[in-house]
Amino acid sequence: MASVAQDPASREPGGPGGSAHSRRALPGWREIGGRVIALREGSIIVITIVTAIYFSANTSTFFTGENFKTLLPYFAPFAILAAGEVFVMILGEIDLSIAGMYLFAPIIFDKLNTSVGLPLVPAVIVALLVCMVVGAINGVFVSIVGLSSFVVTLGMLFTFEGLSLIISKGTPVATPGGQPPLGTFGKVFGGGTYSELIWAVAIVVILQVVLTFTRWGLYTVAIGSNKLGAAEAGVRVNLVMIRNFTLCALTGGLVGIFEAVRSATVQPNPAGPNEILFLAIAAAVIGGTLLTGGSGTVVGALIGALFLGILKDGLILQGVQANYLLFYTGLAVIVAMTANVFVGRVRRGQTRGG
Amino acid sequence: MAAEPARSREPDRQPATPEEDVPPVSAPDDVLRVEHIAKRFGPVTALRDVNVHLRKGEVLGLLGDNGAGKSTLIKIISGFQKQDSGQMFLHGQPYVPKSVDDARAKGVDTVYQDLALIDELSVYHNLFLRRERLLRPLPVLNNREMKREARRALDEIGINIPRIDVSVARLSGGQRQAIAVARSVNSASDILLLDEPLAAMGAKEGAQILDLVARLKEEGRVSIIMILHNYEQVFLACDRVSMIQDGAIVLDKPTSETSVQELTEIVVNEYRRAREEQQASAAAAEESAKAAAAGESPSDGASPQP
Ligand SMILES: Nc1ncnc2c1ncn2[C@@H]1O[C@H](COP(=O)(O)OP(=O)(O)OP(=O)(O)O)[C@@H](O)[C@H]1O
Ligand SMILES: [Mg+2]
Repeated sequence: MASVAQDPASREPGGPGGSAHSRRALPGWREIGGRVIALREGSIIVITIVTAIYFSANTSTFFTGENFKTLLPYFAPFAILAAGEVFVMILGEIDLSIAGMYLFAPIIFDKLNTSVGLPLVPAVIVALLVCMVVGAINGVFVSIVGLSSFVVTLGMLFTFEGLSLIISKGTPVATPGGQPPLGTFGKVFGGGTYSELIWAVAIVVILQVVLTFTRWGLYTVAIGSNKLGAAEAGVRVNLVMIRNFTLCALTGGLVGIFEAVRSATVQPNPAGPNEILFLAIAAAVIGGTLLTGGSGTVVGALIGALFLGILKDGLILQGVQANYLLFYTGLAVIVAMTANVFVGRVRRGQTRGG
Repeated sequence: MAAEPARSREPDRQPATPEEDVPPVSAPDDVLRVEHIAKRFGPVTALRDVNVHLRKGEVLGLLGDNGAGKSTLIKIISGFQKQDSGQMFLHGQPYVPKSVDDARAKGVDTVYQDLALIDELSVYHNLFLRRERLLRPLPVLNNREMKREARRALDEIGINIPRIDVSVARLSGGQRQAIAVARSVNSASDILLLDEPLAAMGAKEGAQILDLVARLKEEGRVSIIMILHNYEQVFLACDRVSMIQDGAIVLDKPTSETSVQELTEIVVNEYRRAREEQQASAAAAEESAKAAAAGESPSDGASPQP
């Protein structure tokens, strides 16, 4: 009954290695498989690998370095957005306003740079601070005023998409610092091939560490699991909620600026961000974060985003018509979530015995 | 020291028992005094005028029917809620807890009736919630130390929790309660507020917690307010009992001077009185309804016409 050193990312306890399975041959593989499945992200890891193998076998171009570069923008931005969203979703809340921040931040950034004359980096910082203030306001409305986060952030979403249209007068502009040849700023803030990937990995690692190994993360889970109990124990619930909404808005603004730099244009069109918002939420959910709160992982969100990216990329490589893309993505999300449930059952069945 | 406050109660109803007029004796060695506390929730008056005092090293049993306001009083002392009026004194000094953390810093720790456990967190994270050990100078949780100390604390209390790295959702009701108690006992506070700490416990586990309380009492360091519903346990564990009824204290006696019989009598009398009152008001309502039906005024559009 020695207490096993567990990967803390999966707060699910239980004996890794599935004792029931280790009777047969191949104990090494069984053990690795057991460990993967025992992780909270286990199911989506399996599903993503299966999807990748499928496309590798069915297309000659999927498993190439060139395609990896194509794949990056299909998942890196979503991974960052989903990472922020996870912090809000674990609270049992949701933040729809990140699409508003995504649209608003590059427009403010452009105005600060071209009209006010702020240099690039300070302009980015101020634009992101504005997003954080909006996030904090979301948090105040949800925690102190007590409104539903769906309603508050939906309102903020429309407000800031509207403001974006007003300020930009609906016309696209060239992103400052995003024009070729790219300088250091452009390469760092989304323009470089691997820029968003590096940001995504760094942000995911940092936020996962925060979630698992700091009081902030502990309290986030505590509030999502038992808000009243957390408050009775002395957790400053409002403060943590405001902080998490602030973080989420920040990721929205950050990705908005990255994408504006990468595409060299600030596009004041809400349609794109709205789709991105739902893909980010889908990535978080597929990655094992509960919409009901109390549980979730940032690494899972990254893998969820990777799954959606691989799916889109693979379907395109297979020659699926553009009109069918969304349709297949929708079906795949449902299939992935169902598979998630089944793999999850296997996992719990395995760990329950302890 | 303030003079003994006047403890006249509103004479709005007949005292259920003569005990109601006995003023609680406030001694200078009171570690905690609660004076004229009132608390309303909208139309509900949870506490009308409550006076409670707690001596050093004493175990005070707080009794009262469901909904009498016991938990509300505990939450006010624990800093979770604010009273509408009335004052509290801790070691003779005015005591105005700004938050649960603040109360805890002043040495008041609480086991809430709902236990305030986090299902998704492990046993040891629950035990150290808001008192986490960190790997200083990093702001990172020192899980190893918390595990070790949690194990030691639980063993010391004598509670059988086989694994401390499982989430508390997997534990039985009694085990969960034991963890909530262990969390407070382990907090080095000198006033413990225990809101029905034995509710979900088997006979053995209940005895274990009562033993623990007795042990703490022997050490003489902590003073305890404990809400209990079982009178046997009250006489086993408490030095004194206070009973809340109708938002005020109706009895305050050393356990040696009262009996299960007396306590039961107070409760039953109150129940009879309330029932009679209810019947009377129901009868009155019926009367007035009849009267209204008889003298059907045409202007009364609210009542359905036959
Ligand atoms: N947060 C709240 N909002 C509204 N009413 C409340 C609240 N907390 C308590 N009350 C009301 O105050 C009264 C006293 O409740 P309290 O929980 O203090 O009773 P109790 O003596 O602890 O009862 P029990 O023995 O059932 O635990 C009840 O009528 C309850 O409905
Ligand atoms: Mg109660």
